[in-house]
Amino acid sequence: MKKSILLFILLVSPLLLWAENLTLFRAKKIQATPYNSYTPGQILVKDGIIVKIGKSIEYPKECKIVEWKDLEIYPGLISPGSSLGLAEINALRATRDLSEVGTHTPEVESWVAINPDSELIPVARANGVTHSLIIPMGGTISGTSGFVMLNGWGIEEMTLRKKVALHLWWPGHGLTFPQPHDKKDPTPKSIEEQIKERKKRILEIDEFFDQAKSYQKGKLSKDSNFRKMPSWEAMLPVINRQIPIMIHADEKRQIKAAIEWAKKRNFSIILSGAKDSWKLADLLAQEKVPVIYRHIFNRPNHRNSPHDQQFRAPGILAHAGVHLSIGLPLGGWSSANQRNLPYHAAHAVAYGLSREKALAAITIEPAKVCGIANHLGSLEKGKQATFIATSGDILDIRTSVLHMIMKGGKVSLDSRHTRLRSKYLSRPRK
Amino acid sequence: MLNIHKNFLFLIFSLVASSLNGDEFAFPGKKPKALDFHALVGADIQIDPKKRIKQGTLLIRDGIIQQVGKGFDIPSAYRIWKMEGKTIYPGLIDPYLLTGSNEPGLLELDHDQHVHATADLSFHGIPSTRSDPGGRGPGFEVSGVHPQNKLVTTFQPDGEKWKALRKNGFTMAHLAPSDGIFRGTGPCVHLLNENPNDSIVKKEVAQILAFDPVGKKETPSIYPSSLMGVFAVIRQAFLDVGYAQHQLSYHAKNPKTLPFYSHLGIEALSAVLKKQDAMPLWIESGSCLMTNRAIKLSQEFNLSPVLIATGDEWRRPELACSKSLSYISPLIFPALANLKEKEDWEQISLDQLRAWDHSPSNPALLVKKTKSLSLTTTGTNFNEFHKNLLKAIERGLTKENALAALTINPAKLLGTEKYAGTLEKGKFANLFVVSGESYFSKNVSIHSTWVKGTPFIHHVQETEKNDDGDINASKQKPDILIAQSPSKYRKPINKSASILFTNATIWTCAREGKMKNGEILIENGKISAIGKTLKGLDRSKIKLIDLQGKHISPGIIDCHSHAMILGRVNESTLPSTAMVRIEDVINSESINIERQLAGGVTVCNLLHGSANPIGGQNAVIKLRLGNSPENLLIKDAPKGIKFALGENVKQANWGDKYTTRFPQSRMGVKTFFENRFLAALAYEKNLTRETKLGIPQKKNLELETILEIIRGDRLIHCHSYRQDEILVFLRTMEKFGVRVGSLQHVLEGYKVADEIARHGAGASTFSDWWAYKFEVYDAIPYAGSIMHDRGCVVSFNSDSPDHARRMNLEAAKAIKYGGLSEMEALKFVTLNPAKQLGIDDRVGSIEIGKDGDFAVWSGNPLDYRSKCEQTWIEGTLFYEIKTFKKRDLEKAKERDALIAKAMHTLNSGKQKSVSQNAKAKFFRHSLETACDLFPHSCRSHENHKEGVHQ
Repeated sequence: MKKSILLFILLVSPLLLWAENLTLFRAKKIQATPYNSYTPGQILVKDGIIVKIGKSIEYPKECKIVEWKDLEIYPGLISPGSSLGLAEINALRATRDLSEVGTHTPEVESWVAINPDSELIPVARANGVTHSLIIPMGGTISGTSGFVMLNGWGIEEMTLRKKVALHLWWPGHGLTFPQPHDKKDPTPKSIEEQIKERKKRILEIDEFFDQAKSYQKGKLSKDSNFRKMPSWEAMLPVINRQIPIMIHADEKRQIKAAIEWAKKRNFSIILSGAKDSWKLADLLAQEKVPVIYRHIFNRPNHRNSPHDQQFRAPGILAHAGVHLSIGLPLGGWSSANQRNLPYHAAHAVAYGLSREKALAAITIEPAKVCGIANHLGSLEKGKQATFIATSGDILDIRTSVLHMIMKGGKVSLDSRHTRLRSKYLSRPRK
Repeated sequence: MLNIHKNFLFLIFSLVASSLNGDEFAFPGKKPKALDFHALVGADIQIDPKKRIKQGTLLIRDGIIQQVGKGFDIPSAYRIWKMEGKTIYPGLIDPYLLTGSNEPGLLELDHDQHVHATADLSFHGIPSTRSDPGGRGPGFEVSGVHPQNKLVTTFQPDGEKWKALRKNGFTMAHLAPSDGIFRGTGPCVHLLNENPNDSIVKKEVAQILAFDPVGKKETPSIYPSSLMGVFAVIRQAFLDVGYAQHQLSYHAKNPKTLPFYSHLGIEALSAVLKKQDAMPLWIESGSCLMTNRAIKLSQEFNLSPVLIATGDEWRRPELACSKSLSYISPLIFPALANLKEKEDWEQISLDQLRAWDHSPSNPALLVKKTKSLSLTTTGTNFNEFHKNLLKAIERGLTKENALAALTINPAKLLGTEKYAGTLEKGKFANLFVVSGESYFSKNVSIHSTWVKGTPFIHHVQETEKNDDGDINASKQKPDILIAQSPSKYRKPINKSASILFTNATIWTCAREGKMKNGEILIENGKISAIGKTLKGLDRSKIKLIDLQGKHISPGIIDCHSHAMILGRVNESTLPSTAMVRIEDVINSESINIERQLAGGVTVCNLLHGSANPIGGQNAVIKLRLGNSPENLLIKDAPKGIKFALGENVKQANWGDKYTTRFPQSRMGVKTFFENRFLAALAYEKNLTRETKLGIPQKKNLELETILEIIRGDRLIHCHSYRQDEILVFLRTMEKFGVRVGSLQHVLEGYKVADEIARHGAGASTFSDWWAYKFEVYDAIPYAGSIMHDRGCVVSFNSDSPDHARRMNLEAAKAIKYGGLSEMEALKFVTLNPAKQLGIDDRVGSIEIGKDGDFAVWSGNPLDYRSKCEQTWIEGTLFYEIKTFKKRDLEKAKERDALIAKAMHTLNSGKQKSVSQNAKAKFFRHSLETACDLFPHSCRSHENHKEGVHQ
């Protein structure tokens, strides 16, 4: 049995440099969960799983010991949404696979198009990001996301969970205002028309889900005329309440409407983007809607809004009791910058978010959102041994990430950047 | 006729013989024309804004006021008009009736309209693939510059519009040309729909100049497509005129030389620059700050123009108004939109609400702050014009001033005050008659308008009268201004001739390194002492600030910013735009100043974008919040210019349409620089020859600027990415003896660090951006430290109004990637950029003799838990965390109060039947505020839509 597991690991993870049965990791400090740390700390790992963790634990003599005397251990960081592997150089169309054409394409799946050899992936990893939710874009319903491990030979091995959530991009609820110079659109829609359209767009969403529901009924009825249709098939896990809906919305009114809609239809939702969500922090907490905040480094809505409004937003949400994850804005541009994930969270710390909540927002909370918290997101007995060793506080920019362990095995932190660095460091001085 | 006194008859024939010529004696079958003898009897007569006669008489003969007053006999030949209970006013004059095709409107400058383009990569300013021929025919070869156009040669009475004007009391107007930059002249006319020859009062009133980037309306755009381009065009045009004048006088003295021909455009502009009897210049600036620019430009060329106000002068009255200049203002006030939901109102910014509340007070402000105010109907409908006039009166414009603004003031501006503007004997019988006592009553009904003695009786429909106004008006509370001036929250927080900061951890970025428990003495804005415990000070006489162990760093210097630039950051049309200047378009009102001060930033290098190999001239500014654009400049900072290489200048990501402008390859980029530098040298040779021979020199602003570079008087800041292009650029510049000031971005600079160091160029790079386009695929975050280790002066810049708020943390990345010491890392955003900009003799470190520019941090500035708490520039506190919080609260309160007022206005039905235009105005962002809506960087996801990279 043991052998077969070992064989399995060796087979599926040839990248792992060593995958012994038992390894003990000793470090200056282990941040096991956002709220619990051991100084010093030890982790005993068996077959890629944490067996024991604590300040001082008993371990068998024969196990291999990894000594990180001056280092701190953190759970691998989890990005709650990116286009890693789907976008390489955003300015070049040929390298973009991050969005599709069509307004309702629930059958589109993100993980099938990830380029495992994207140069962007090792760069994200280099700063401790071990996993990311990969989100398809385009249209109102863009498809389903996959949760991937940022290491592996191929997409089948890297994709830990398919169909994490269905992605619904809530229609804009803001008014568009008439611009006197806008020669292209000299007769902007009146405010009344816009209100009507807003309601109509929600009705359209309702209608789509009603149709999905009737498809489900049709399928159950085993009617001889029933035909399988890919779009509706893709909606079944949602209709059957097997997967949540991730709703992408930034404006207050959008968010409110989305919450009401989900409540009415009894869907479990996750709010993503959420720029103005701090205005609805209590409501979001009360309705237990997890929030992925993506606008810390965005500028405030109005020029006269407080300059630090976006910096303060995560603190307001966490304080109200919202389950908060922090991510980068979605899209091709941010794929290259996933390594800065901890600094998005860190920036909120000076503005009212506790360090614990900031850590949670890039580890355990996104793991929960992605339905993988039983295995990832914190360092606890029975969970996957996926962690990083750092020279200090992971939120501090001055800190370096020095080692990465995934499923108990060492993962390289080399990247295009370190390779180019080595190459040009060795250029003889002129 | 028989009863007419003989003498009188003689008088008529002698004075108005012309009116009884053949034309008047119509053929049979034609309706006979009435005799122009009118006596208006019994009305109150408003002679001029001050003087009023009760129940007087006014005699008109052949279009002229013959007599006005009381107690004289009315000769019997006169047709009597009984006008008891009415009031006669001097005919109103519109001094700026824009005339042209397609409903011409006032210039409303916009920051950029292309920002929501759906194309994958639409650049700011679609670049030109066209050469730039200007208009067809002789004249200046730049589009929009046609000062020789004379509207009088083609104008025709606009029947419907003029009828409407007359109906509203207007009798005379200046028809202003509406198209272009130098637009030409227009006539002053009586508003008569007859033979145009009879209505012309004056053939040319003024040369009209508008700051309109006309080239951006073309597809693809042509020069000038940016606001700064407009100023370069104006300067070059004036220089060309100067050259032509020199040529003419030279040839007059040297008749043997070949004759010199100037063209029509130059001749027309020469009239403006003449020392005597010059053609007046009127400037339509398009925004509040641009009015300030108009004033500065006029000083530069010694002109005294009439300015067309925008209605936005309330934003910075001290900058936009001048006591020595006359202003013409439209009366367009924003009208509230009937927004339904709370969230709709949340979308409205404080600035929009302020604009709504301030607008009606603006005319009174102009009266107070300028030489004279005239009003124009351009941009409003007449009903609204009158309503707005009353609103302005409610807000402090006196009736006397209001009438003057519609009569004698415009008459003076048009140079027609001798025969128009008042109801005095001998002037044109241009007047209008209202029922009742005043033109300034809510439901005024205009009985008749008389133009050159011709009566136009208006048949006022009773329905229009529904009189609810006057009685209610007295019951209604007067509308008072509650919005604050934007300057209120932009004042310095603290200032003192000498201040001692004690108990601080000082990051000097100088030899002293980091000093704990240190003290800094600032005297007259300069650092005069630094040390542990400064001796020899009378502490009782100095302002003491105990920093309680907090950290002081030098003010952060951002070597690459576009955050405070008005009206496009790229003049993207021509491959070399060395003549354009950021200095002309600095946005002192940008909210980015506040936001970046809050991140400890004190100096910004405002750069032109990277759309062309040779971009525009930069401006190095200090964030002295609340100052004028001029006072933001670091005046003695070395001059600089933006250059660019690679994908942007070869239009690689602009789409398939843009494949014809040279250069399209990196080969061409190098070729292009060589061409322009050699052209500048050839130009210099010509200048030297001309000086020797004493012949006039033709100044070329583009080549002048490049010459400055060659002479070492202007630093190049060159946008660059790939190692090959960096190296080739350095070598090309070396060939011309030029040392490059800084390489911007320089993301592959680490590959040629030794060469950069040896050349002596600074390297101003990003901390860790990469992969957003192909030429940055090899960018690595270690670039900064590698270049530093190999002897380059390295800085990290923002190129983004977002990153600029946290440059201290960007600097920390130099520690993470490459292991620099904390102090060396901090220098990446302080001393090193100061060196690159050539201002390290006064800023960049905490050293004696340097400017008192620094930030106070709650802890180590490289730590994410630290916040900037104070930002000082030259001993003045511009940012303080608690004061800003307080201001935020006050602004929030002000906003609530304005929304409450808006709701009340809407609910009480005060705002009725407003025009579409007025509603649109409510949503309009002024140029100064629109500038803040755009991120101007590729480094923000917000640019995803735009794909903009400066």
